Amino acid sequence: MMRGLRGFIQIIDEIGKALLFLSEIIKTLLFRPCRKSLVFEQIWHVTVESFATTAMAGFFVGAIMAVQFTVQMKEFGALGYLGGLATSGTFREVGPLLIAFMLSGKIGAFTSAELGTMRVTEQIDAIRCLGADPMQEIILPRFLGIIVSSFFLLFLGLLMSVFGGMFLGYSLAGVNPEEYVRHIPTIITAPSIATGLVKCFTFAVVLATICTQKGFYAVGGAKGVGKAVVSTAVTTMIAIVVMDWLTSFLGEVFLQMAIGS
Amino acid sequence: MATKSPNRIIRWKETLEQLHFIANGSLSIIVFCVCFAAIVTIIESSFHMKIVIQNDSMVPGFAAMLILRELAVVVTALLLTSRVGAGIAAEVGTMKVTEQIDALKMLGIPPSTYLVIPRLIACIFGTMMLVVVANMACLLSAMVVSNSYLGYPPAIFLTAMRRFVQFQDLILAVVKAAVFGAVIPLISCYFGFRCEAGAEGVGRATTNSVVVGSIAVIVLDFVLSYAFSYLY
Amino acid sequence: MIRFKNLVKRFGERTVLRGISLDVRQGEILFILGTSGTGKSVLLKNIVGLLRPDEGEIWIDGQEVSKLTEEQYLPIRKKCGMVFQHPALFDSLTIHENVAFGLRRHFQFSEGEIGAKVKKALALVHLQGIESKRPGQISYGMQKRVSLARTVALEPEILLFDEPTTGLDPITTNAVNQLIQDLSHTLKTTSLVVSHDMQCALSIADRIVVLDQGSIVALGTPTEIKNSPVPLVKDFMAEVHS
Repeated sequence: MMRGLRGFIQIIDEIGKALLFLSEIIKTLLFRPCRKSLVFEQIWHVTVESFATTAMAGFFVGAIMAVQFTVQMKEFGALGYLGGLATSGTFREVGPLLIAFMLSGKIGAFTSAELGTMRVTEQIDAIRCLGADPMQEIILPRFLGIIVSSFFLLFLGLLMSVFGGMFLGYSLAGVNPEEYVRHIPTIITAPSIATGLVKCFTFAVVLATICTQKGFYAVGGAKGVGKAVVSTAVTTMIAIVVMDWLTSFLGEVFLQMAIGS
Repeated sequence: MATKSPNRIIRWKETLEQLHFIANGSLSIIVFCVCFAAIVTIIESSFHMKIVIQNDSMVPGFAAMLILRELAVVVTALLLTSRVGAGIAAEVGTMKVTEQIDALKMLGIPPSTYLVIPRLIACIFGTMMLVVVANMACLLSAMVVSNSYLGYPPAIFLTAMRRFVQFQDLILAVVKAAVFGAVIPLISCYFGFRCEAGAEGVGRATTNSVVVGSIAVIVLDFVLSYAFSYLY
Repeated sequence: MIRFKNLVKRFGERTVLRGISLDVRQGEILFILGTSGTGKSVLLKNIVGLLRPDEGEIWIDGQEVSKLTEEQYLPIRKKCGMVFQHPALFDSLTIHENVAFGLRRHFQFSEGEIGAKVKKALALVHLQGIESKRPGQISYGMQKRVSLARTVALEPEILLFDEPTTGLDPITTNAVNQLIQDLSHTLKTTSLVVSHDMQCALSIADRIVVLDQGSIVALGTPTEIKNSPVPLVKDFMAEVHS
């Protein structure tokens, strides 16, 4: 009982820390914006770093979904719908989640390791001593860079998942690509894409906040950096799952309201 | 015990401790995450089922299939990659940069068997157990949501589920879990042992093990799903 | 110059500094000695505001600084140069950019002036021709000296050294100690050096402070310290004589 309570308080604590850090970042963004070139540098850096990984993950996620759907669709004799269903399933549920997991491992771990190293080797203290603001010089460009590029990368992953599904549909079930694509528009509608984009954006913000915060507050040498990376990866994944639910739920509520009115 | 024969292959005490860290330590996080993932699956699949076939009677069966075959096991494996995999890489990496691994070698203890074998065994069994629990929790929360959200009581859910999935799906999920459970610690230990000096090195080893681990999980999942598709 | 009044610093349950009161005189080299974990580095970080005291006051040039905001602290940090325990060079920048980093923040120099100042600072630590290299490409001892140059380039009135010679070979150690002495003579800076090297403290310090468990146990000139009856100081001295 006591352990459960303490765990609960710890969760509240984590959420509070992340939100405080986010508000600090937004304050910096509004009052002391950083140079644009720094942000673009980060966007370029993160995108190049994770491009191949994300594309590959997306491709395989699409392929996995296509494998699962093919078996079912064969039973029902509705292979024509394979493209639409597999794409929709990937696009709306599994895809964003798994690709965001992938990115939280890649970008999140990378960033918190980098920032953690800067912290424990006193580089962040050195920046403050030399009269610069680490929030402005280090955190803000990374935060913005991660949001922009992971949004882009998530979208790229989802596109690749369509290709993965198409490839598998062709090689496993003999559904040719035109037929595969033909049914996508009937199932994927504008609201689908909108929810997908909202999800991608939310995941990007969550990822950027958590990894910068964990890295920035790392303590205790090499071990501390390792700890920061582990806790970034775990916290981001949990936050992403919760956000996944929240966006789906809110999306549904808004949809009901839109239909109802 | 351990002092009597430091060179024995399996150190049971260490293995059990690792098992406690992997299985017990990750249980609440994993159950929490797969439950949320299950809820999302129900909501989203009802959404597009309504578009395709104008009713959502297939949702329970469809969701149960997705959960048993993919969702529970992959989400569990990815969470383990970041919690356990990264943890092992950080631990072994720190041991490497603080020269503890060299100290082990000097004492005549092969670090690979000393460190890897307990983690490997613990992770394989831990993941298998966790996946069973994750599947149960996932199905349970899916059932609850489809009751409250779609209005299908558990009895209908289970009947609908029966048409889509069989017991062998759970067995295959556990087989997948065993494979992932073996791959995660191997990758982490590999990067941990190759860790370069300093905080930077540990950070890089941990990051690499998370990235390579998650890619490996996704690719292996594809291979296994493809292979299993001939068994259905 | 710098005055601590009853400084107390806690980390959670643990009290690291238990009421430090100390005056640092203009232009002196003050060594702060003590075993590991007695709060020597914490004391330094309190001066530049990287850590803030829980109780007590810090006066720098007649100004109480412990309650200042981050922005108000900037002029104080401009006055103080801190050399960290780690080289703390920015990995993504070249040596030239590392040394120029603070110059660009604090002053409006032209590129030519910055180039000259960087060259001069590097010459002070006996380094040449490595401006375009990255920190990862030079040895640890060189990194430490570059970090010293980065601090000295700003011509601070107060120099704070956090274990400047830890992890260096004896020859580089001597060079760094010589450098501290030269700098305080040529630039007329006040230097605070955190160290556990009694040998070099005795040879270059004007005064020595010995900390134990977060309190000052001995304070005086090298000669006074040599004859101190405090057990911890005697242990340090025994180390030197052996």
